[in-house]
Amino acid sequence: MKIAIFFTLLILSFNINAQSSACTDFHKKHCKVNTKTTGKEWQYNAQSKSGLFKQGDVSKLRCVIYKGMDYRISVCCETVIGDKVNYKIFDVRTNELLFDNLKSEGVQVFEFQSASTRQLLIEVTVPKGAAEKSDSKSANSACVGLLIEHRISERQGFSQY
Amino acid sequence: MKTIKIIKISFMFCAVFTALMSLQSCGGASNDEALMEASGTETTVTESTPSTQGPDIQVPSPGEMLQFIKILGGKTNKNTSFLNPTANLNAYNEASQKALNFGIYSCDLSYCSVFEIGSETLKYFKTVKQLGDQMGLSSAISNDQLKRLESNVSKSDSLSVITDDIYFTSFSALENSKQGPTIALIMAGGWIESMHIACNLVNFKAQSPASERIADQKYALENIIDYMKKHTGNSMVDNTRTDLENLYKIFQKIEEKEIPSVKSSSGTTVLGGTQQKQLVITATNFKEIAAEISSLRNKYTHIN
Repeated sequence: MKIAIFFTLLILSFNINAQSSACTDFHKKHCKVNTKTTGKEWQYNAQSKSGLFKQGDVSKLRCVIYKGMDYRISVCCETVIGDKVNYKIFDVRTNELLFDNLKSEGVQVFEFQSASTRQLLIEVTVPKGAAEKSDSKSANSACVGLLIEHRISERQGFSQY
Repeated sequence: MKTIKIIKISFMFCAVFTALMSLQSCGGASNDEALMEASGTETTVTESTPSTQGPDIQVPSPGEMLQFIKILGGKTNKNTSFLNPTANLNAYNEASQKALNFGIYSCDLSYCSVFEIGSETLKYFKTVKQLGDQMGLSSAISNDQLKRLESNVSKSDSLSVITDDIYFTSFSALENSKQGPTIALIMAGGWIESMHIACNLVNFKAQSPASERIADQKYALENIIDYMKKHTGNSMVDNTRTDLENLYKIFQKIEEKEIPSVKSSSGTTVLGGTQQKQLVITATNFKEIAAEISSLRNKYTHIN
C-alpha cells in the first residue's frame, strides 16, 4: 500500500511535468497547413507558441506584426479537448477587436496584413463542452498550438522591395 | 500516523524528483541557477501554462530583421567587422554576461547564415555551442546540428533554418526549465545585436522601408521591457531593463502620424482598426538610436 502511494505520486508528478514540456513544439508539428498559395513561401515566425490547455481555458499572447508583411495564423489542438479553438485578435494600444474567428465560421487559419506596424493581442479559448470529459484527469488537458508565419507582402506595380 | 509520515516522505521525493527532471531537461545544472536564485520570483512564472492573468509576451526573432535588411539590398554584403569577435567568449564569466552574449552570438550566427558567410557560420556556431554548453543547453545545441550546418554551408536558406532552429530550441529548453530571467537577457542581447547590425548596414533615408523598420523596433523593445518586468527583483534583469528603458526614451521622440485605412492590393485581408499610427523617423532620431545601441552593445560585449 505504502509503496503504491509512493509510486502513484511519483508518476503523477512526472506526468504533469512531462505533459507541459511535451507541448513545446506542438504548433510546429501539428498546426502547419499545406495550402497552395501564390507568392513567396511562408516562413516560421518566432512568436509562435504552444501550451497546455483544458476546456474553458483562456490564454493571451502579445506579439508584434510589421507593415509590409503578410501573416498567417493557424491554431490547432489535440482532439481530447475538442477539435476547434476560438481566437480573437485585438489591437494592444486601442483594445479594439480586429478579428474573431467565431464570426468567420470558426476558421482555424487566418491570413492578413496590416497597414501599420503594431502590437497585437491574440486571445485563444478552448470552448467548454467541446469534448466529453474523461475520467482521467490528465486526459482533460491537452496541447494547443498557435503557429504564426510571415512573408513579404506581394505588391502591385513597381515594388519598393 | 505511520502512513501520514510515509505520504509526507513520498511528497518530498516527488518534489525532489520533479526538480531533478526539470534540470535534466535543460542539460543539467547550469550557471543560470545563479540567475534563478537571484530572481526570487522565478518559481511563480509558469511560461507554458495558459493563464488569464497576463499575456504571454513574444518578440520577433533577430533573424527576421536581418532577412528583411538583406531583401532590401544587402544581398552582396559579406562584412563581418561589426560582429562580436568569437575570441571575446572567454571574457564572459558571470551568468548575466553569458546570457546576454548568448543572444548576441546567436544573432551573429544568424547574420552569417542569412548573408551566406559560410566559414564564419561554422565559427559562430561553435562559439554559440560552447557558450550554450556552459549555460546547460547541451541538449538544445547538438553536434548533429553542426553536421547539418557543415553539409549545407553553401545553401543560405537551409543555413537560416538550422540557425533559427538553434535559437528556438534553446528558448524551448529554457522555458521548459522555467528560466525566464535567462530568456529575458538572451532576448535583450539578440535584439541589441540585430539593431547594432541593422544600424551598421542601413544608411538613413526618410520613409525608406529599412529606416521605418528600425523605427518600428520601438514596439519590439516595448515587448522586451514588459517581458523583463515579469522578472522584476532579479538584479541582472533589472539592470538591463534600466538600460533598455533609457533607450526607449529615445524611441519615444519619434513622431507618430495617423494613417488612413487602406485596402490590400493583393487581395489579402487588411486588419482594420481606428487611430492607426505610423512612426516617422528623422535623421536625428536615427543617429541618437544608433549611438545608444552602440554604447549598450559595447557595454554588454566589453569592447571599449
